[in-house]
Amino acid sequence: MDIFADVLLFLANNIFSEVAILIGLITLVGLMLQRAPIEETVAGAIRATIGVIILFVGIDVFVGGLVSFQTIVGSAVGLDPPEATNTLGDFLGTHGGSIALVIALGFLIHLVVVRILNTRYVYLTGHLLFWIAVITTAALVEMFGDVDQWTLVVAGSVVVALYWTIQPLALAPLMRKVIDSDDWGYGHTSSLACWMAGRLGKPLGTREEHDTEKLTLPKRLSFFKDINVSTALVIIVIMVVAGAFADPAVLAEQAAEYNVDINPWVWTLIAGLRFAAGIAILLFGVRMFLAEIVPAFKGISERLIPNSRPALDAPTIFPFAPTAVMIGFISSTAIFLVFMGIFAAAGWFVLVPPMIMLFFPGGAAAVFGNAVAGWRGAVFGGLINGAFLAIGQAVTWGMLSDTAPELATLADPDWYVIAWLVLGIGALASGMGDAGIWVVPAVVTAIFIVWYLLLRRRAEQVLPTGTPLGDSPFGRPDAEGPPQTSRSEHDRTEI
Amino acid sequence: MSTRPEPLKILTVCGVGMGSSLMLRMSVEEVLKRMGVAAKVEATDVSSARGMKADVIVGQGLHTEEFTGKAPVVVGISNFMDKEGLEKQLTEAFRSEGWME
Repeated sequence: MDIFADVLLFLANNIFSEVAILIGLITLVGLMLQRAPIEETVAGAIRATIGVIILFVGIDVFVGGLVSFQTIVGSAVGLDPPEATNTLGDFLGTHGGSIALVIALGFLIHLVVVRILNTRYVYLTGHLLFWIAVITTAALVEMFGDVDQWTLVVAGSVVVALYWTIQPLALAPLMRKVIDSDDWGYGHTSSLACWMAGRLGKPLGTREEHDTEKLTLPKRLSFFKDINVSTALVIIVIMVVAGAFADPAVLAEQAAEYNVDINPWVWTLIAGLRFAAGIAILLFGVRMFLAEIVPAFKGISERLIPNSRPALDAPTIFPFAPTAVMIGFISSTAIFLVFMGIFAAAGWFVLVPPMIMLFFPGGAAAVFGNAVAGWRGAVFGGLINGAFLAIGQAVTWGMLSDTAPELATLADPDWYVIAWLVLGIGALASGMGDAGIWVVPAVVTAIFIVWYLLLRRRAEQVLPTGTPLGDSPFGRPDAEGPPQTSRSEHDRTEI
Repeated sequence: MSTRPEPLKILTVCGVGMGSSLMLRMSVEEVLKRMGVAAKVEATDVSSARGMKADVIVGQGLHTEEFTGKAPVVVGISNFMDKEGLEKQLTEAFRSEGWME
């Protein structure tokens, strides 16, 4: 028996807590299930493992740049940089194994729920399978501390699985207006901003009259589409300006940490570039393991759920209104910078402009806004996203300061809501000790069921009974069982 | 007219290189299999793609403009799930390169 216990302990310490090895193993299993040739299976698993290691290196560089930015800008406006007792890198080091398991188990639960409820969309936006698992796990650990690993994994898996199921469903009616078909669903954590843009933006105009695609923007703006460029540029400009107002002692000290001989001004430039480079490396690592895992997940979902449709990343809607994307990015960034100024002046918080999240969710919300209200809707969508990101970052940093506060600077709108929800439910259950963690998946399941029934009732009200299931987001073309729906062309856009 | 490189080196491109470009990679792989064309397809981001050599670049219209001339064949797509359309675009482009009958 001792040997058995030793083996379990070895597995727990060396396999289930090592995210790189676990991701490699999940990839290996995924590729084997896909019946990939042995050499490709091994190569894929190795590439995925290296990807995770690269991700860690990127996070290190990024966090270094982030701390420099917050310190210098904080000093310039007379604020302490946001406090953190732990970092994202450390958190992934200690809990990365649980996160990898949450992704795998969460995806399986998601497939089962889609299959049982006969809903249509399978969530295939790979990096968000990863990041939603990270933010959910971080919020759970922040609230409940070091609970048993499998408790954490199961509780986290339920939360992420239900999110991946409900989010594309909730966006389905609006998505039809955007892409004019049901070919794929929207699977992105900007969904709340998109939903608000599509629902609240309506009175601002009509697409027919005010379509963004009738406008032409200066071509020069297009270099901003390269997020490496826009991140570096915006961070550097703010760093250099802040450097002028920062306490010279603080500036010199920060610069000397990098290189004792460097001129502080040159250092502000380098620090901005390191920030952008860190993000580029981090993304490269994520890309490397996703390239191996996502095709396997896609293959498994196609086999388990025939005729499901994928819920896909935000840029899949960009071709429907590329000008709206640029408008949303600009309005998102503008409002964020305004908030940055206000928060600094009021002495609240040193915001860090998250250029990727201002571009993708801002652009996506603008495409939704444009679909219902033209360019004013697009501007509105961008503003909602920018405001959400500013408030979200300031509020959420402190909430995650013992686990991975940097997530607050990498987050899309839905991440904040998920973190707030988990922490909120957790706070209510805090008197229950270790068992309290189960209240989180229980309450999330209850919310899911009510939300699902509401969405379904709404679809049934608009769609008279009697025609193919495939026409509603609540069914797949080949699936059997309720609801049977029919609809006229007129109803189509109003589901 | 030139002979088609075997296998073709293809890049699918999007802003960050992990979401839509990965989906595109899988669509391109499926379509090329149907067409009987051997290819190595890689998903990447706009910045990295600039430093990579490829025979074909596939991406959404928003990005493909920047790549015109950077590879013999540059294909811009607007519907990520439209595999028939993708097959048509690739076939036409390959024909005009003399890569296909």
